Amino acid sequence: VKAAIVTPASLEGIPADSVLLAGGTEVVPQLREGLLDADTLVDVSALVPRGIAGTCIGAGTTLAELEASDAVPDALREACRLASSPQLRVMGTVGGNLLQSTRCWYWRLGYDCRLRGGDRCHAREGEHREHAIFANELCASAHPSDVAAALVALGARVRTSRRELAVAELYRLPTAGDPRTVALEPGEVLLELDVKPPDASAYLKAMDRKRFGFPLVGVAAVRRGEAITVALAGVAPVPWLLDGGFDAATPLPGTRWKVAVAEALVARALASIRPA
Amino acid sequence: VARLIRTEKEVEGRFEEVWLVVEEDALEQWPQGPRDVVGRPAARVDGLARARGEALFTADIRLPGMLHAAVLRSPHPRATATRIDLSAALEAPGVRAAIGPGDSPALTAEPGYEGQPVAAVCADTLEAARAAIALIDVEWNVLEPLLDPDEAVARGSLFDTRHSDRGDVERGLAEADVVVEATYRTQVVLHNSMETHQSVCRWVGGELEVHISTQYVWGVRNELARGLGMDPDRIRVVCEYMGGGFGSKNGPDDHTFVGAELARRSGRPVRTALTRGEEHVAAGNRAATIQRLVAGARSDGTLTALRGEFVNAVGAAGWNTFTEGPMQTLYACPNVRTTTHGARLNLPPMKAFRAPGFVEGTFGLECLLDELAARLDLDPLELRRRNHADVEPVEGRSYSGKNLLECYRRAEPHWGRRHEVRARSTATVKRGVGMASQVWWGGGGPPSYAWVRVGSDGHVTVVTATQDVGTGTKTALSQIAAEELRLPLEHVTFAVGDTSRGPYSTLSAGSSTLPSMGPAVRAAAADARRQILELAAQRYGDDAGELSPGQLEEVLALLGNGQILGTGARGPNPAGMQVLTFGVQVAEVAVDVETGEVTVERVAAIHDVGRVVNPLGASSQVEGGIIQGIGHTLSEERLVDPVTGAILTRSLDAYRMPTIADVPEIVSELVDVPDEHLTNLGSKGIGEPPIIPVAAAIANAIRDATGADVRSLPISRAEMLAALSAARNSRLEEPARA
Repeated sequence: VKAAIVTPASLEGIPADSVLLAGGTEVVPQLREGLLDADTLVDVSALVPRGIAGTCIGAGTTLAELEASDAVPDALREACRLASSPQLRVMGTVGGNLLQSTRCWYWRLGYDCRLRGGDRCHAREGEHREHAIFANELCASAHPSDVAAALVALGARVRTSRRELAVAELYRLPTAGDPRTVALEPGEVLLELDVKPPDASAYLKAMDRKRFGFPLVGVAAVRRGEAITVALAGVAPVPWLLDGGFDAATPLPGTRWKVAVAEALVARALASIRPA
Repeated sequence: VARLIRTEKEVEGRFEEVWLVVEEDALEQWPQGPRDVVGRPAARVDGLARARGEALFTADIRLPGMLHAAVLRSPHPRATATRIDLSAALEAPGVRAAIGPGDSPALTAEPGYEGQPVAAVCADTLEAARAAIALIDVEWNVLEPLLDPDEAVARGSLFDTRHSDRGDVERGLAEADVVVEATYRTQVVLHNSMETHQSVCRWVGGELEVHISTQYVWGVRNELARGLGMDPDRIRVVCEYMGGGFGSKNGPDDHTFVGAELARRSGRPVRTALTRGEEHVAAGNRAATIQRLVAGARSDGTLTALRGEFVNAVGAAGWNTFTEGPMQTLYACPNVRTTTHGARLNLPPMKAFRAPGFVEGTFGLECLLDELAARLDLDPLELRRRNHADVEPVEGRSYSGKNLLECYRRAEPHWGRRHEVRARSTATVKRGVGMASQVWWGGGGPPSYAWVRVGSDGHVTVVTATQDVGTGTKTALSQIAAEELRLPLEHVTFAVGDTSRGPYSTLSAGSSTLPSMGPAVRAAAADARRQILELAAQRYGDDAGELSPGQLEEVLALLGNGQILGTGARGPNPAGMQVLTFGVQVAEVAVDVETGEVTVERVAAIHDVGRVVNPLGASSQVEGGIIQGIGHTLSEERLVDPVTGAILTRSLDAYRMPTIADVPEIVSELVDVPDEHLTNLGSKGIGEPPIIPVAAAIANAIRDATGADVRSLPISRAEMLAALSAARNSRLEEPARA
């Protein structure tokens, strides 16, 4: 795979269909596997803010920087620490992490599935042991971002090159007519996150090895006064705000076990943020 | 003196009767215990070269004018290509040759698994070769694949079926006070060597030179000679450094046949290297198994009957491994009946993988033994002691050496920790301890040869065309040469991996390199030393006594440009005896009963492999075997779409090998008693034994911790939670039954 890398002086005038490059930990593998097609990559790492100032986190901040910062709420710091491997966390940015694609093996192998506008979910009919237990009717893919679940639970907001919105609003469930899982407009770039400190927060994660695994189930729990917010990774095509309990879950035959794991982790996360 | 014998040769549990030329093994074994060099820990002699990146692996070979090959692989598990058009690929920029079915024995128009090679091109760059592959036009007639092993047995789609009967199983079961019955399943796992399968082929005149990542340079030479219709001596095979094989690199494989043909057509060297994704479909795997097992015992634990029906899900090619081996050979049971089917399926071919068959069969048998112990309310270690086989149970032969009872004795302190381990359980995290025994071959055999060259500077070169597959072969063999010659280890250089530069050596599989090559190296060194002593006798007189280091240096200095050349050969194995390795492992686990998470906290491994030449290298092998075994037990699984047979786990993201965070405390103990009947060394191999009992020891520890029977690998969270739920349900039913 050969692609030219351009480093523009500003975000203005970047063509709307550009493939943006920051840490490269998701874009480069997708290019290599032929899942992304681009002759030119636009390196935005010098243009996207990086670093932590008060409640404001630059979208170009790496997971390694967040993991090491005392200014970051526990749920987010822990989500970063439990993500991927140290080498990848040094490169990967929080903005890129929010926009990563599913690990569904059918999607990653280029199958013409519903997430690509096709007419089948191969996972529903086939091998789906790691797939979604919520909102999986059309597409059973699971969202792999620990960080996204933490930010959704924290009620974080994001400033883009065009607007400001809640992190939860970045995501949309794929529909028959529109398979996108991210609600960004063409050319829109994530710039900064605003994360208000909670009274307490936690992130717990189930992997099938001790480290360097995407979440089978990730649970972020946040408390502000009496108000509790729980969001999950790895259970739906998008980061999943848990509204009510697991009665609404629609697990597939191979994913029923996930409900039990998620329930246990939610109970533990809630216990850990309970007022002393 | 060379002599011709008729003998049984074993590789990875497969036996054949062969004629062998052997030389007598005249040397006495060294006494038990560490010596000056042998038996003492030695760092890898090539460790610095590896760490500095100076070691040249096949992946580093870049010959002048070298082209790159890419292979078109079947997108269907079962199909027929009705038309293959290579013309667009041939015309693509940079392409030098393109071949299809009929051009090479490795290419087919009727693939039997997804990923089987159909056509290939070579080009100036890898990118150009891959781009050209996409231009090959194929019309497929897609056929229904056969994917289910039980269905293959029902339909008779089999490589073969083996039956074995000892004693009278029906009577044995009738005599039993307790009978247990269970079905165990093991999954497909991948070798995932760090260096993928690859080779560089170059024609020099009418001769073929092959640089290849292999466990058997001589096997590659012989198989290529057969496949290409060539005289073996016109093929040179080279492998100096090798990035792992684990049984998957014993032959030239399709990629080398493809490379040889493309190199012939283009007149240029051609490199053919599998990507990690190709490695996950077309480089071999450990076959899945289904094991339907029954055991009967008297109330005192004496086994009266063992019965097993095994299905090996071989795939599109491969062989029906000896999965029933542990059931037949581990215990002194008079009545044993086994049936083993080798299912032919439209799935990628199996290849040998670190103790093939025995890893799978030991999981079933040793879990069954613990289920039996639970029913009998007997201590699992005691149950195993009571059924110890004093003679080899299949043919009644004596063992050349067996210290399994000593392994059990040494396991006691580790086994004794279980009360304290269980006591550390909490409401949600249950802890327990489990054990499993191990039996395997690993005695090596002839033929294998070595040459030892001694120069006037007192430096020694050992020349042999064996290969170091990363196990530390060069280091251990250098220690043997240094010991025999009474020279420091630093004076020994070891040359390996070139069929045109050294004598024949066995393949590096079946834990056989050290037990095959070690005695040959010692014999060659002894031959060189004999010649040095003859010179010394002439210099200092016959009655000068033991040669001092100073005298040795002086005698060698007299050589000038002269050299002493010692030669040695591996002698025969002891006639009429069974040469086997034994061991036991004790695992400690923690199980989160709410989330199904299993953590292996400690594994103690005690193995009996005869004399230990390099304790440091041996403990590395034990650690590697246990870590690979933990992957097999907990997280690794090759997944297939159940409808189409397409391979889904084609990356190291989807296929999960253990990380360093998954590695428990590992305690490695070796009995280290020379096998007095085996060669001038008394050493057996340690490559395979440590992976054999891992899965069963962990599963048994899980039962100890939770009461749940896990009978299917890998023990994923789903599997663990299902087993816990089944155990809860059976406990609820128990009072009703009583």
